[in-house]
Parts: sequence; C-alpha cells; structure tokens
Amino acid sequence: MKMFSVSHKTVFVVDHCPYMSESSRQQVECDVLTKTRAQGVIPLAPVSKSLWTCAVECSMEYCRILYDIYPKDKLVNYIVSDSEFHILNTWKREEQGTHELMSGLASVGPPNPHEDPECCSILHGLFAAVESLCIITELQHERRAALMDTAERVANRGRIICLTNAKSDTSVRMLEDYVQETILEQNKVAASSDRRMAIQQCELVLLHIYPQGEDTLVSDRPKKEISPLLTSEVHSVRAGRHLATKLNILVQQHFDLASTTITNIPMKEEQHANTSANYDVELLHHKDAHLEFIKSGDLHMAGTSTRENTLKETVTLKWCTPRTNSIELHYCTGAYRISPTDVNSRPSSCLTNFLLNGRSVLLEQPRKSGSKVISHMLSSHGGEIFLHVLNSNRSTLEDPPSISEGCGGRVTDYRITDFGEFMRENRLTPVSEYFIDSFEKLPVERAKAQLERHTRYWPMIISQTTIFNMQAVVPLANLIVKETLTEEDVLTCQKTVYNLVDMERKNDPLPISTVGSRGKGPKRDEQYRIMWNELETLVKTHAAASDRHQRVLDCITACRSKPPEEEERKKRGRKREDREDRAEKNGSKETDDKGWQDSERLKGLIDKEDQESEVIKDSPDSPEPLNKKPRLSTEEVQPPERAKGPVSLLTMWTNRITVANSRKHQEFVGRASSVNNKFELYQHLKDENGMDVHENGKASR
Amino acid sequence: MPTLVLMDVSLSMTRPVSLDGSEEFQRKNLAVHGLNMLFEHMASNYRLEFTALMAFSSLWELLVSFTRDYNALQEALSNLEDYDKTCIESALQGVSNVVQQEWGSACPCQVVLVTDGSLGIGKGSLRHSLQTMKHRGDDKKFPLPFPFPTKLYIMCVANADELQMTDAMDNLEELLHLSGGDGQIFTIEGPLCMKGVQAMFGRLIDYAYSPFHAVLHCGNLSSDVQVFPRPEPVVVDDEVEPMPRAVSTDLEIVGFIEIADISSPPVISRHLVLPIAVNKEVDEVGTGATDELEEEPSASQMAGKNPNFCVLLHGSLKVEGMVALVQLGPEWYGMLYSQADSKKKSNLMMSLFDPGSGPLPWLGNISHLGPISEAAENPYGEDDSKSPFPVQPQVKRSYAQNVTVWIKASGLQTDVQKILRNARKLPDKTQTFYKELNRLRKAALAFGFSELLKVVADLLERECTMLPDSAHPDAAFQLSHAAQQLKLASTGESQHADFDHNIVPMHTDFSS
Repeated sequence: MKMFSVSHKTVFVVDHCPYMSESSRQQVECDVLTKTRAQGVIPLAPVSKSLWTCAVECSMEYCRILYDIYPKDKLVNYIVSDSEFHILNTWKREEQGTHELMSGLASVGPPNPHEDPECCSILHGLFAAVESLCIITELQHERRAALMDTAERVANRGRIICLTNAKSDTSVRMLEDYVQETILEQNKVAASSDRRMAIQQCELVLLHIYPQGEDTLVSDRPKKEISPLLTSEVHSVRAGRHLATKLNILVQQHFDLASTTITNIPMKEEQHANTSANYDVELLHHKDAHLEFIKSGDLHMAGTSTRENTLKETVTLKWCTPRTNSIELHYCTGAYRISPTDVNSRPSSCLTNFLLNGRSVLLEQPRKSGSKVISHMLSSHGGEIFLHVLNSNRSTLEDPPSISEGCGGRVTDYRITDFGEFMRENRLTPVSEYFIDSFEKLPVERAKAQLERHTRYWPMIISQTTIFNMQAVVPLANLIVKETLTEEDVLTCQKTVYNLVDMERKNDPLPISTVGSRGKGPKRDEQYRIMWNELETLVKTHAAASDRHQRVLDCITACRSKPPEEEERKKRGRKREDREDRAEKNGSKETDDKGWQDSERLKGLIDKEDQESEVIKDSPDSPEPLNKKPRLSTEEVQPPERAKGPVSLLTMWTNRITVANSRKHQEFVGRASSVNNKFELYQHLKDENGMDVHENGKASR
Repeated sequence: MPTLVLMDVSLSMTRPVSLDGSEEFQRKNLAVHGLNMLFEHMASNYRLEFTALMAFSSLWELLVSFTRDYNALQEALSNLEDYDKTCIESALQGVSNVVQQEWGSACPCQVVLVTDGSLGIGKGSLRHSLQTMKHRGDDKKFPLPFPFPTKLYIMCVANADELQMTDAMDNLEELLHLSGGDGQIFTIEGPLCMKGVQAMFGRLIDYAYSPFHAVLHCGNLSSDVQVFPRPEPVVVDDEVEPMPRAVSTDLEIVGFIEIADISSPPVISRHLVLPIAVNKEVDEVGTGATDELEEEPSASQMAGKNPNFCVLLHGSLKVEGMVALVQLGPEWYGMLYSQADSKKKSNLMMSLFDPGSGPLPWLGNISHLGPISEAAENPYGEDDSKSPFPVQPQVKRSYAQNVTVWIKASGLQTDVQKILRNARKLPDKTQTFYKELNRLRKAALAFGFSELLKVVADLLERECTMLPDSAHPDAAFQLSHAAQQLKLASTGESQHADFDHNIVPMHTDFSS
C-alpha cells in the first residue's frame, strides 16, 4: 500500500436523522438469570438497539481494527450529520483513537426522534467530508516539506464511508452527484490554500442500513467510476449482525488485511480448572503475512475455510506448544500487527493475555503430507502483538565457510571478553523526544561519536597490549575516553598514574607481551617502559579533547621521566624497542606469529627471568632486521646509541664497508653538506628570488 | 540469490559463425565459451552462489541442480547435445517449478537465458505464446511473472541488428517486461566471435555478479568485508520515493543491543559478512583459476594470522548474546550478529531492516537511540536487571485495554452479568462494581444506547429488593444510588450524561 493511497484518509459520515432512532428489531436478552435465582422472578424484557447504535458500534469496530493494525498514519475523521454537520475529531495524530471518537459520540448523543425530518439531511455530512479530505494531514505536510521541489509526489486521496438510510436508488444517485459536485467545488477552493490539497481520488462507500424484517428499497451495486475523481459503491445491509460482518469485510478490503485462525489453543475450562479444551481464535493482520501461501498456491493446503454465510476466508494455523525463548534470533521475514476479530471473547483474551505476558507461540502450517512446518510466530513487543513470518524454505546461505577459516580466523588471543565489556558500555537507549532538540547532533550520531572516542586506541589481541591486561590501569582507561572530565576524574587518573609509579618502584611484574623478541623477554625496566609508552599513546589520542585530558597526559609525561643513570641504562634497550614498535605497526605476519608463541613461552619464563638480573640486550641470537629500514634512517638512529653501548659485529662490519665505499666515489653535494642527514632541495629558487616561490608568483603580477 | 542458467540447445544454435580464420564455430560454441567464463568468474569471486544449469529445446532438462560445484557445471556444458526447436514457454514453466521446489516462492532468483534470438516457429514459439497469452484459462497461464522475485538476463548470441530485423527483439523485450522488468537483454556488439561473446558476458558479470565490497566500521576499528549475496537496492514507496536506495559501502556500527531486546525482528534480506584481505588482487575475469587455486591456501593462511576486527566482533557478539546495530545509509539500518549453522560453524551475518528510521516499533526511532552513558541513570540497571526496551506505544491496543464491544449479544450479556455478580457482593466489591458500571455507562453513552442504561438500572433495583436479610446495609444504599445515577444518564441531559464523568460510590458511614 502506498503511503498516500486512499487508505491514508477515511471519513465516516453517519446519519443522525430522526429515522435512525428507529429500532433495529434485533433483540438482546440482558436479563440472563442463573438457575438458582430464577424462582418467582419475571425476567425483564429484552432490549433492542436503534439503527444509530448499530451504525455507531459497527463503525467503531472498524476503527478499532484499523487503529490496532495501523496505529499511525491511517487516519479517521468522524462526522455526524443531522440538521447540520458535527465533526467529532480532526486529522491530528493526537485526536486519532477509539477513546477520542467515543467521547465525541457521547457528546452528540442518540438522534432526537422529535426533530423535524425535513431539516435533517446526510448531505451536510457529505459536504463536510469532502471539505475534510481537502485538509492536509500532518504526514502530508511533513512529506511535502521534506520533498521540497518534488512535493507534488505527495498525493491526496481518501475514502468516505457513509452510513445512512436512503429512500431509493434515485436518492443514492443524488448523493453520488452531490459528492462529485462538491469535490469539484472544493478542489477549486483548495488550490488557493497552503493547508489544503485538491482531491485526486475519492472512494465513496455508501451503506444503506434498514431494520431487520423489512425489505430494502436500495439495491447493492459494485464499485463503479462516476468520474476520474470519484468511484462509488453501494451496500444495502440489515442492521445488527449483518452490518457488523459487512464492515469487517470492508475493513479487510480497504486496508489489505487477511484473517488467520489459530486452532488447537489449549485453554483451562472456566468451570473445571483441571481439564482443558482446545479453542480457536481468529486474528486479522496485513495480508502479506500470507504472501508465501498465496504465491505458492498453497492457500488451500494451509487450511482455508469458507465460513457459513460469509464470503470471508481464513487461513488456519496450528498452535505449537511453546518452546521458543527470547534469546533465540529467528529468521523472520515479516512482522505484522494483529487485531482479534472478537476482541473480548474469552478465548481471544486468553490468547492475547498469554502473549502480552511475554511468551511467544510458534505456529504450524497444517500440511496434507504430514510433515511439520513452522511458518509463523506470535509474539508481543511492548504491549503490541505481532504475527512474525518465519522462513521455512531452504536457505541460500547454507554451509558457509566458518569465520575461523577466513581472515584473522587463526588468531587465538582476541580480547573477546574486553570487547564484550566494550559492547555493554556502548549499548543504546531510546532518548525521549524532549531531549533531542537540546543536543546539536541526533542521538545516533552521538552514539557513533562515543564509539569513535572509545576506539582511538584499542588493540584487538591480548599480546598487543600491556595496559589493558593490567587491573591497575582500568580506572584511567575508563575515564580518559569520556568526552569531558571532572576534577575528580582527573584526580582518579592521576592516582592511577602514581599507583603505576609505585608499582615500578616496587618492581612488580607486568603482564607484558613480547611481540617481536625471541627467546628471552624484555627486562623488567624495559617492560615498564613499554607499558608507559602504551599508556602515553592511549592518553595522547584524547589529550586534545580538553585541558583536563591534557593534564592527565602531562602527569604521565612528568611521572615517567627517570633519573639520568636509569635513563642511560634504558637507552641500551631502545633499539630493541624501536624494532618492536615497528613490528607492531606493520603487524608483519611472521613476527606476530612468533610474537604470540613467544608470549606463551614468556609466561612460563617471566619469573625465572626475574632472578637473572642482567641480560645482554643485543645478544647474537636476536639479530637486527637491518634490511627492513632504509639505510639513511638507520644511520640516523644508530650513531649516538652505538657510541655508548657495546657494538655488534654486524654494525662494525657495516660501518667499515660504508667507510670503504665512501672513498670510492665522490659524495653527493647534498649529502656532504647535509644537516642531520637532511638537505633542502631547490634552494636556488629561494636564493635567486630572495623570497618564496609562491609569493614570487603573486609579486610579479 | 541463486542463479539458474537456461541454455538453448535447439538446432538453430548449431548455425555456424562465419569467420575469416580457418576454424569454424557454432553459435553454441560461443555460448558455451561465455558461460565457462561466467562460471570461472563465479568460482573465484562469487563462489557461495548456488547455480543450476538447464537445457531446453521443445522439452527441457535440468542438467545440474543448484550447486556451488562449478566444475560440475562446466563439465555439463562440455557435454551438451543438440535437439530440435526452441520453445521458451515450456522451459520457463520448468524454471518456475524447479526454483520453487528448491527455494520456495520468497527467495529472489536470477535467471540467465542463453539463446541465439531465433525464438521458434509456429506453436510453442515465443511469438505464438505472447500472442495467445491473454486468451487463456487459469490452468494454462503464461509462467511469467514467476511467483518469486526475478532478475532475468537474456544473453543473445546474436547482434542487435540481426534481432531487430525480425520481431525477436520486441518479443524478448516483452518477455523481460512480463518478468517484472528487473533484468537486461545483452547482445553481442560487432561481429560474432570469441571476443564479442567475452565482452558480452563481461558486461553481465559487471552488472550482476561483481562482489559487493564494503568497509565495516566501529569507531576507529574497521575491516574490509565482502557482503554476500550482494545487497540489492530497495524501493520504499514508488510514488513518494521512486529512487531505489542502495546499501552504502561504509557500514557504520552505531551501538549494541541484547538479542532479547531486538527480539526476532523482521528483515528484508540476510547476508554473510566475510572479512577480506585488503591487498588481495581481485581477479576480474577469472582466467588462470588453476594457478590461483594452488597459491591461495598459503595466501589465505597468511591472512588468517592477521587479527581482524570481524573475528573479534563475531566472537564477542556470540559470547555476549548481542547484536550490533549498523547504519547502511541515511535512515537505513541493519543488524550484525553471530549465526551458527548445525555443524558448529558460525559466521558473522548481517540482516537489513526496512529502510526508514523506525523499522522496528519496539526499538522506537533508531536515529533517536543514544549512548547509555548520556542517560541520567543506566537504563539497564547496575546489575543488568532492566532494559529500556521494548519501547511502549503511547496508546494501548484494543486487546490490552479492556474495550467494550457489544456486537455479539454475548459481549453485552457478559458485561451486565459482571455488574450483577459484583452487586451481590457489595460492599466488599464496591470498587469493581463501580468500575464495571462506569465502563458500561461510558459505552452506552457513546453508542447512544440509553435503553440499556434503563434496563440495567431496573436490574439493580430488582437486586436491591432481593437482597437477603443478612446483607450489609450499605449494599442497598449503593444499589439504589447506582440505579438512580444510570437513570439520570439515560435522560441524555448534558449534566448527567457527560462521557468523562464517573459514578462514584455513595459516601456512607456505618462505623458508628
């Protein structure tokens, strides 16, 4: 159904003329006496509803079903007509609902039988109905505003359901002509107004109501086109049960509904609590819930039954004893709101209450072959019941390769638990409309911004991180990702840092990983350096957020600076760390692989190593991956370090060769006169012009 | 989306192609060459697609049923035999049966019809079928449109000029139109030769079988992924929004939700999300597949050892029983979750919701979901005992609010009996008695059913006279008070018949 089909706007026009106060002659026995009290009491006479009461309660039932299944944007405007028209509500969303309509109907009251019939006419109501169809709804307004230059895509169509008592076929023609004329007239008026739209299509449904036991003076007529703007159909119906059935069929036709009967519902008997009988409950819902049956021509197999006296069809589905739970994610191809046809019958309310209490029921499609196919599920969400359509066909995605066979599938030390914690922190919650304007961004954009902050530094595997394996860092790590910090937060972060300093002084062991190193892991002070580096990396990514964030970074920088002699000892180990950093950045396959193998080994070794106080860093068993960096940059780092620490054989050899080679050719001018191995190119441009090239371009003009 | 290849093996396919070179080809050879190319492409870039091969002339035969074994498909192609005349209608009927039997009628399917554009003669020809289709009974309906959503690709081993000389092109266009219009007719540009047929199948591959690559983002964490099958563009409302919406190649996670809260949502399609190595060259044409097969295990093993965000995400979603909400484009969302099949294998899966910001009423507007850290207090509670979902609608549905419907006599009788039952237990049941009484009063006023108010007033008065001696004196007071109020309401006078007015219990004091 299109957004702006004729079903977007429905106007009910109900006749409130004196004639409608006539009895429908369908009698209801109110005084149903129980056996024990029957003696000596004369039962009261049965009551009968007036034509008006019949019309009103059946139209309200139509609205009840409509509002149950389309709680939004399928709108009803209710108009009552006697010597004038009474409009009970508007298209506004807050005025949609059976309660609002009932309140309006109560204020109108039943028709006055003593009013002069000559003054009264349904035409007043039909005029108001056409006028009302021209009035723009909130949805039409919103969409027109949103579409801007293509606003003409928003159509204005509607339906008028008129419940009246017509005199004859001729008077029916008269009503149709009147509606047609009024549309043309009102369309002209609408053209000059912002709040109105011309009617492009109108469907008139005339229901002629007459008392039981009388002959009808008006004949049925199927839908026919009066003009390109107007179609009309006439139904001549007896008041009471027949009218209710007719409107039930119409609401299904008008809103693409279909009927499902749930059979075999086990229910405790009212009288005998220990026995249970099986009941059936009929539900209405959008017909797409039967799409699979209709397409496959399975409709008959699924148990369609044509019920007596009516042309109504219903698909039968069998109740399966509940065995589904809420944490199961079913493959569901559609979910449609339902409305029970007989809402306050005992079986219906038993079923709906069962579902509203949070339980779900699987439904089985009865098949002749006897194989059991679960095709639907009934489930409630927030006080609304939905019929879910479950996929029962073969899946095109069957037997996919497992995720462990693909990229990243062989890595075994993912921080699954940590990421789980991360997901819990990044769960979502509805933000009430009230707060939405107060933020600049939509809540969902703020959720994305939070994810961005939380992932600025987030190593995916355990062996890539030290700080996230340390309980002591948790308070800081949790706080630093916040958008704003309080003074108290900064204090907590600082305390965390001091605590780490303390740990370092006490030489507490760290859960360090040894990516890139072979054999023995790094020494304890080395480990702390790695930890501090990582912590600094984490905090740096947030430092720009606020002064308080910056203060946390400052605190770390201040605390980690070491007395000179300690610093010197560290320098010897720096080269190793460079290599590690590089390995981390490149994520090179071999090193990673060995990395986590080593980290496993390290866990066993770490205590033993504590006793071995001195380990030679540049031991021959961990050679330099020299070829991985351009020569220039290695040279840049090496000399100051080499001067202080022991020099490896390879370095000595390389240096010697370099010196020897350099004698064999003339050094490039640039390299010879470079500062720190850097030389500015195209200096002559500057020299010649005495100014920047860019500026020169301007000046010469 | 499974593919069914429908191959024309009528005699006209054996027509030789005039070539300058010494070797002589039949049109069939060209078609087979093109299909081989398609199958090779699929084997290397689209290998999860199920494909079937069907040959037809005046009869049809399913040579290979739906499979991912592309060798089997290629082998069947090499063993094609030649038969009589082209009869497309019966073949399409066969397609309809085969697809529905395998996949039901909801699963979208691609049909690749390979023919030479000579569409048969006389009865059974496409021309004849199209001419007569409007004058047939329900039992002999033309098989198009298929009950399942279809993309029809017609591959003509002929060039457009040749087809336009007869009415073949018109008939094929009509066929495409009948199938729902989704698809395309491909013809060979230039002379009929190997190159031409390659180019034509190349266009089909680009159009329908290019893998969908995207980047999955979660803040700064990301992974390159292939989404399989390709997500198809969706038309929301062809009147208001006629342009189809396509899934963005940047899939952005916006946050996480428990499975119990998302609660089996309806989805328009499901897709596998497969992490891919970034720098892996995608072989567009699929030539040299054999070399690749040997190299690939080592390449994929290497990729297997690099940490990948998809694997981390999948693992945590599975352990925590959660889903990730993912934004697919403006006001369009989906969910990522771990899906396990029966064999203990599990995978990262993505389901697409209906486009729009409110596809699931119980989540509310997805654009209005924000981080829990911004809520005044954690909506999940400190111990995860609560949940902000489902979102409750503003108005309760009829079945959740005890509505009054008297269309059936039994509905009315039950309501009257309820009042009487409570009347007999006054004053214990005073509250329920008045609650039921007011409910009846409201409905009677709205329905203009004043006669009922009078009758119930009479019933209450009668109950009053029939009270046993043991009854509490308050009972009599309340009954006559209630009866009097109903009678006043039945007059319809505005001061007594106000809809929002409630009859309140009479104030009595029997304590002294």
